Amino acid sequence: MELNINGIQHHVDVEPDTPLLWALRDDLAMTGTKYGCGLAQCGACTVLVDGQAVRSCVTPVEKVAGASITTIEAIEQDDLGKRVVAAWVKHQVPQCGYCQSGQVMAATSLLRQVPHPTDADIDAAMVNLCRCGTYNAIRAAIHDLASGSTDGGA
Amino acid sequence: MTNRLKKIFAVVIPASAVLAAGAAWFVTRLPASSFEKTGSQEEPSAQLVARGEYVSRLTDCVACHSVPGGAAYTGGLKMVTPMGAIFATNITPDRETGIGAYTLADFDRALRSGVAKDGHRLYPAMPYPSYAKLSDDDVKALYAYFMKGVPAVHQENRESTIPWPLNMRWPLAFWNVVFAPSDVYRPDTSKDAQWNRGAYLVEGAGHCGACHTPRSLAFNEKGTDSHSAAFVSGALIDGWFAPSLRNDPNTGLGRWSEDDIFRFLKTGRNDHAVVFGSMTEAFNNSTQFFSDDDLRAVAHYLKSLPGNAQRDGTPWKYEPTQAAVVQPAGRQGIPGAQTYMAKCSFCHGTDGRGQGQWVPPLAGAASSLVPDSSSSINVTLNGSGRVVAAGVPDSYRMPSYREQLSDGEIADVLTFIRSSWGNRQPPVAKGDVKKLREQTVPASSSPVILKTR
Repeated sequence: MELNINGIQHHVDVEPDTPLLWALRDDLAMTGTKYGCGLAQCGACTVLVDGQAVRSCVTPVEKVAGASITTIEAIEQDDLGKRVVAAWVKHQVPQCGYCQSGQVMAATSLLRQVPHPTDADIDAAMVNLCRCGTYNAIRAAIHDLASGSTDGGA
Repeated sequence: MTNRLKKIFAVVIPASAVLAAGAAWFVTRLPASSFEKTGSQEEPSAQLVARGEYVSRLTDCVACHSVPGGAAYTGGLKMVTPMGAIFATNITPDRETGIGAYTLADFDRALRSGVAKDGHRLYPAMPYPSYAKLSDDDVKALYAYFMKGVPAVHQENRESTIPWPLNMRWPLAFWNVVFAPSDVYRPDTSKDAQWNRGAYLVEGAGHCGACHTPRSLAFNEKGTDSHSAAFVSGALIDGWFAPSLRNDPNTGLGRWSEDDIFRFLKTGRNDHAVVFGSMTEAFNNSTQFFSDDDLRAVAHYLKSLPGNAQRDGTPWKYEPTQAAVVQPAGRQGIPGAQTYMAKCSFCHGTDGRGQGQWVPPLAGAASSLVPDSSSSINVTLNGSGRVVAAGVPDSYRMPSYREQLSDGEIADVLTFIRSSWGNRQPPVAKGDVKKLREQTVPASSSPVILKTR
């Protein structure tokens, strides 16, 4: 199976129904993407496939062969992604950090779709779970990004 | 007393006595078996036991005669009827609590006529009206397997909770006269051998009609073979709507090819659907063990059953997701859309089309197109059971949303699903969700998996 991850072509020797998350973590040792629930419920495993936030734990590799996959390891190669990470640092969003690679991917996807999201947009799109309850910090960071005050170099 | 009255009594009383005696004999008699003349049993060959094991996969005895955590074939499965609960029995060869004392003829009477060794009538929860079609050879092989291939386990049967007088079994003798076919499968000479094999498997051994054929007030299946338009036309059973297996494009197999049916029964999945509800059990222990030839015969036969356009409605056609649903702000005005995007779309797709054979589509799925919403509600509340194909557990499974979503949220999201992408069903009622929530339990992730070797 050929997978295009972060702009690099990778060959993985897995069954077609293998979850993308296993291919990333076990076969390619890209452990930035986290395993949370395995049932698409929490969002810790969120990656971008052709710019869309998907839950890699429920995505068969067969479905994404040929697509452009972006993981947390390369999110800062993307201008918007770089700004999101900077805002996350500025607002000191992560606490334990386990869900945060997924949160960053979800926020990047939201801001790409809706550059100036309202609170309602954030509620609708940011459905990833955070056990530490960093939701308010996430909201503040996204608003900050939307207002344009956080740039990549912050 | 006048002479006339005396004369009447002289006729009526003996006549009634004769009738009563006749009825008493009839309701307790042992029906005929082709094996009555079979004398003391010789040791069955290993080949016959192996053949019987295969037949037991076709007949799926384990589905009802086992419970999770229990030994195979020791019974105990609870089946709820409007009169009370009944429990499947121990059919291991234990002499006291199982069927170890059964002769081949006794076994045959239970299997094909619904009469136990002591003469009591079985409830037709036991699909003997279907097994009646089994060939003598298959009955003999099955007997050999249950006597020699299944370990004996001493385990008492559980009494039913049906109160007297409803628990009397003898009226079933009359039920059998009216409703239970009593003849082995007779090939239809106008059809080819593959079709006939398929009919034998679907109508007889596989007893597909037990779930998929609607029942009338007397609990009999409304049709028992291909001559009836009601046969496997879809039915509500135990909180699931078992869909039509006829050529109905929406609610049946109309859009499936023979190969699609073959793959579904062999691997548990195809691009149209993945097994769920009670079908998971039928797949886990039965259909995947059918030989390829037998599965192809089943597919060939099912594709010959005509659909019913009036019942099925206008054939479904895919329509894209409304643009507003994809917009975070837009979907908040559409009931159920936000729940769909947050809880369902990551697996079933924002387009409702699932992920190939791995995650089933909701767009155009029989469960989304059938007017009865039970299966949609049930699988959302309780998730799906573990599908174990060729010994390997599934990678993706529907989780239970019982604890996460309220009755209203489930009704809304299912209303959204059942009215999107060309699906056109009326709103799902909150009360129906509430009712099923009370009647059902979450699917088990430790299913009964029968290992025969």
